Amino acid sequence: MPLFRFSFDAMASPNELQIWHDDERQARTLADTAVADVRRIEAKYSRYRDHSVTARINCGAGGAAVAIDAETYALLGYADRCHRLSAGRFDITSGVLRHAWDFRRSPPRLPDEAEVAAATALIDWPSVEWSRGSVRLPRRGMEIDFGGIGKEYAADRMATICHEGGAPHALANLGGDVRAAGPQQDGSPWRVGISHPRQADAVMATVEIEGGAVATSGDYQRFFDLDGRRYCHIIDARSGQPVTHWQSISVLAPLCVLAGSCATIAMLLEHEAEAFLARERVAYLAVDSAGVLHRPAVAV
Amino acid sequence: MRSLDLSAHPAPLPRHWVCIAMVVLLSGCATLQPPKPWEKGRLAKQEMQFGADPIDVRLADHIYTSKEAGSGGYGVGGGGCGCN
Amino acid sequence: MAATDDEETASGVTGAAGSAGALLAAALALPGVMPASALAQTAPDQGLVALKYVDYRDWQPGGDRIHVHSPSLYLRKPLSDSLAAEGSLVYDSISGASPLYHNALSGASGKGGVTDYRTAGDVKLTKYFDGAAVGVGAAISSERDYLSRTLSLDVRVSSDDRNRTYAFGIGGASDDIDSTNGIAEGKHRRTVDLLFGVTQALSPEAIVQSNLTWSSGHGYYSDPYKTIDVRPDHRRIVAWLTRYNQHLPRFDATLSLSYRYVRDSFGSDSHTVEAAWHQPLADGWSIKPALRYYTQAGADFYFDPPFPQGFSFGEPYTADTRLSAFGALTTGVTIAKLLPEGWQMDLKVALYRQRSDWRPGGGGPGLEPLSARWIQTGISKTF
Repeated sequence: MPLFRFSFDAMASPNELQIWHDDERQARTLADTAVADVRRIEAKYSRYRDHSVTARINCGAGGAAVAIDAETYALLGYADRCHRLSAGRFDITSGVLRHAWDFRRSPPRLPDEAEVAAATALIDWPSVEWSRGSVRLPRRGMEIDFGGIGKEYAADRMATICHEGGAPHALANLGGDVRAAGPQQDGSPWRVGISHPRQADAVMATVEIEGGAVATSGDYQRFFDLDGRRYCHIIDARSGQPVTHWQSISVLAPLCVLAGSCATIAMLLEHEAEAFLARERVAYLAVDSAGVLHRPAVAV
Repeated sequence: MRSLDLSAHPAPLPRHWVCIAMVVLLSGCATLQPPKPWEKGRLAKQEMQFGADPIDVRLADHIYTSKEAGSGGYGVGGGGCGCN
Repeated sequence: MAATDDEETASGVTGAAGSAGALLAAALALPGVMPASALAQTAPDQGLVALKYVDYRDWQPGGDRIHVHSPSLYLRKPLSDSLAAEGSLVYDSISGASPLYHNALSGASGKGGVTDYRTAGDVKLTKYFDGAAVGVGAAISSERDYLSRTLSLDVRVSSDDRNRTYAFGIGGASDDIDSTNGIAEGKHRRTVDLLFGVTQALSPEAIVQSNLTWSSGHGYYSDPYKTIDVRPDHRRIVAWLTRYNQHLPRFDATLSLSYRYVRDSFGSDSHTVEAAWHQPLADGWSIKPALRYYTQAGADFYFDPPFPQGFSFGEPYTADTRLSAFGALTTGVTIAKLLPEGWQMDLKVALYRQRSDWRPGGGGPGLEPLSARWIQTGISKTF
């Protein structure tokens, strides 16, 4: 039985789906179905698509409530749990911080206090009125985005599509967020390399997964260095300031959406990260700001 | 409901049956590694589920209760029949 | 400022609030992130319609032959994300010198040699909650001389990791008997059934289930078509069933084993052992050979013919061979083929033989060997 690899671009990243299958045509059909679902999620939730659910919700900020379906309600419910469990540091209304923090600007510049304050004033998930049928952002200028959840959610669904399509020996990799539907064909685990946070293209460690997921959050994806300090795109929703405690955190969990949000929340929690990850019963590899590797004291 | 009057039938379980039942249970315990959520693909297969084909179960049960005295164990509320 | 007043915030992120693994539970609520099959107590997301047809025949040396034709229909349909309905209908038409359900028959035989019939149907509604399911069912079975109505309620609750499920069930049946020979008119029987069961996933390849059922009934139990047949007016049955399924990755096969012990206040205690091997083959084919051995003790009031001398009338008495001591063996094989677009076809052939000397220690001396065979064809489609 050969391994088929399908590469595709979506959600602003290079992606790959690997399927062990004895029939190439069936594997391709399955891959097409799975990729179509990724594109569906992208079209539905990308904040850059004018007709997406996210765009409609953001357009209605300060106005009338926007009708939502069950899937959107479920995602909002998950985002709400993340908000609660991170004591408000993870907040899907924090996208407005991009107006204060511009990581593409050259030379880099720190936002002034007023800019940060203007942005954080619009970050307020608890004020969002959401219910099973609708959602309303109460103030003009507020925005939500599913940036920290959507890609991982899509990876999980790819795995489910393969599993239910009779191909449980499959691995979905959406821009570094990895989810296995099951082990490889011969029962052996998939080997997933973890990027080194300071050496581009270097692998820091390899983890083996027979199923479940690995996702990494790091300070090296979007950032600028200024006066010997790194300012990354992972920003505490309450203070409006980038976190500094960790260079990267990789989480192993049953679901990619869980691995991804645990990694991000752990980055945001800084010194409380390891206690949080232990309580969520996930395994992890974390590199602190001094480059020291941390992992669970006991196997999870 | 009245208490079950089984005292008139003290026949114990024959020893060899007890052994078989225990071997089955122990062989399970020896490899007890409850699956993680993502390891349930095999358990989800139709042949790994109990009573996956409801009509097959019911037809077999019906045939056996028409020939044998023993019944029960599988569930409650199946349709009865005149085979005492 | 994204200030919150949530309980987690108040006691700190790493404090006691928020149960361990809370985020996993929340993530599992997202649609499609995990195959539905990995989660116990999830409503079926597909409908299923299945048709089966059974051709059954039994015989004894130089004795009666019975032939039963039995078409049946099963339908399952999800009504919403958390509600599913299922139901079935079966019609038995019985021909031969002696009908299947009675040991003798009085009355004119019907058209085309059909001597008796049975119509049965049941419906069940199941509501699924997070980690639990509640089902309510009703069943009815009607014969010329027999009407049975059943109501049932069952509750299943899963552990947090979904690896263990507890089942509780209660059922009540009310049966009316009006024999065609006028011996039993307006007779009733009431039965209450209770079930407690545990299903445990032992490993990714093994699952075990153990059920205890209690049945308590009172009313008319005798056979009105027998010259003398007097049975107690109550019956208590305790059954203990343990089933075990083991997947064998080396063969891609599944081994199913089960054992059942039944204790019966009539005295006809029984043991049943079953084993089956499910082997998938190429192109969607599969084959499942199966073996079943059953043995029962004779009822306390069973007597081999001839009628015992000095029998005091008024005491329970039966010569019904179904209450005698015997052993029985079923050998069977099922062949199935998965077809595109949710279609499936299957064929099952089974041979049943019952002999008094197949009971360890020997059974009733007067019992003639009994044989039966049935051929079952089925087709189903998911939608």
